[in-house]
Amino acid sequence: MLPRVAKALAKGLVYFVLFYALPMFLVRQVSGFAPGFFADYEQLVTLFAAVIIFFAVATELTSGTIYQHALNIGKALILIMFVVLAFDGGIMKLDLDIAEGQRIGIIADLRVYLMMLVAIDLLGLARSVLQAVKFLSDKTEKQVPQPQPYEDL
Amino acid sequence: MKQAVKALGWATSIFWIMLLLFTITVVYSALQITPSLGEPSVSHSGDVLTTSLPMALYNGGFYDISKFNLTTLIRDQSGQTITGSSTFVPIISSGANTTITHTMSLSIEQLTSGDLSDLLFNDGELDVEAILRLVYARAFPIEISLNLSMPWGAPFANLTIGDVSASPFNLTHIRILLPVSFENHSFLEMNGTARLEIVDRLDRVVGNGSTTFMLPPENRFETDVEVLISGDPSNIREVNLYFQTTSFNYGPLVISLV
Repeated sequence: MLPRVAKALAKGLVYFVLFYALPMFLVRQVSGFAPGFFADYEQLVTLFAAVIIFFAVATELTSGTIYQHALNIGKALILIMFVVLAFDGGIMKLDLDIAEGQRIGIIADLRVYLMMLVAIDLLGLARSVLQAVKFLSDKTEKQVPQPQPYEDL
Repeated sequence: MKQAVKALGWATSIFWIMLLLFTITVVYSALQITPSLGEPSVSHSGDVLTTSLPMALYNGGFYDISKFNLTTLIRDQSGQTITGSSTFVPIISSGANTTITHTMSLSIEQLTSGDLSDLLFNDGELDVEAILRLVYARAFPIEISLNLSMPWGAPFANLTIGDVSASPFNLTHIRILLPVSFENHSFLEMNGTARLEIVDRLDRVVGNGSTTFMLPPENRFETDVEVLISGDPSNIREVNLYFQTTSFNYGPLVISLV
C-alpha cells in the first residue's frame, strides 16, 4: 500500500508541475496582452489541473481494481465536457480596446480542432471501457473452477 | 480483447502526437505571417474621394491562407451605411508574398439621398468598421474586426439665415435682404449656386433669389441675398433653400423664419 501511495504522490507532483505550474506561468506571461481574457483562462487551467491531478492520483491508488477503470472512463467523459466548455463550443471571441474609441475583436472558429480533441478523447474512452470489460472477464475467468482431467478407473 | 485495447492505446498515442505536432506547426506558422501596411493614398475625382490602402502579406508559415476578405464599412452615427468596400483574395499560399490594395470610395452625392443629408449640414463622427475574414490552414476560419471613429466635416456646416431686413422697392414689391452664411468643413471645394424661395403663411412662393459661392475647405461663406417679394414681409413663414454644386444638387432645405 505504501509504495502505491508514494507513487501516487509522485505522480500528483509531476502532474502538478506539468498541468498547473507550467501553464499558469505561461498564462501569466501573456496575460498583459488581454488581462480580461486570460483571467478566465487562469480559472480554466486551475480546473483542468485539478481534474487531471485528482484522476491521476485516484487511478494510481485504485490500480489493479475495477475502480481504476471506472475512474478512467469518468476522466475521459469529464475531459470531453471540459474541452467543449474551454473552447466555448469551438467559437472563441476576444475583444480588446486598443485606444479611445478604437476596438478590435477577434473570432476564431476552432470547431475542427475541437472535433479532433473530442475524437481522441472518445478513443480514450473506448479504450477505458474495453479495459474495464477485459478486467471483469479476466476476473470472472479466474473465479470459474477449472475442469479436472478425467481419470480412468 | 487484449489486442483491441493495445490497438486503441497506440491509436490514441499516435493521434495525440499528431495533434500536438499540428498545434505546434499551426502556432509557429501563424507567427511567420508578416503583414505590412503601405502608405494610404487619397485622391479626388469630381465629388468622389477615393482612399487606397496598399498592404503586403508574406505567408512564411507551412499552411495556406484562403478566402482572405477585407471589408470596410463607413456608417453615420445612426448606423446607416454611407459606403462600403470589399477586397477578396482566394488564396495566399505558403511561402507567397501577396500585395493587396484595398480601395474605398465616398461620393458626396450619396449624402444627398435619404437620411444621410444630415451629414451635409452637421459635423459629426463617422464609425469605420474594418472586418478581415480568412481561413487559416484550411481548417480555422478567423474574423478580425476593427472599429474606430473618424471626424466628419460637413460641406455646409453652421448654415444660418439671419434676421431679415426689408425696404420698399416699388408699389408692388418689397426688397428683403437675407443674410446667409455657412462654413465648408469638408475636404472638397464647394462651388455652385444657392437658390432661395420665400414662402408666406398661405404656402405661396412670394419671391426668389440666388447667390453663387466658391468656397475652399475650411472657409466661411457670408452674403446678403436680395429678394424682391410681393406682399407683406411679416407674412413670410419659411425659406426653401436649393443647392446646385459641381458635385451634387440638393433641396429643398426648409428653414423657418417664424
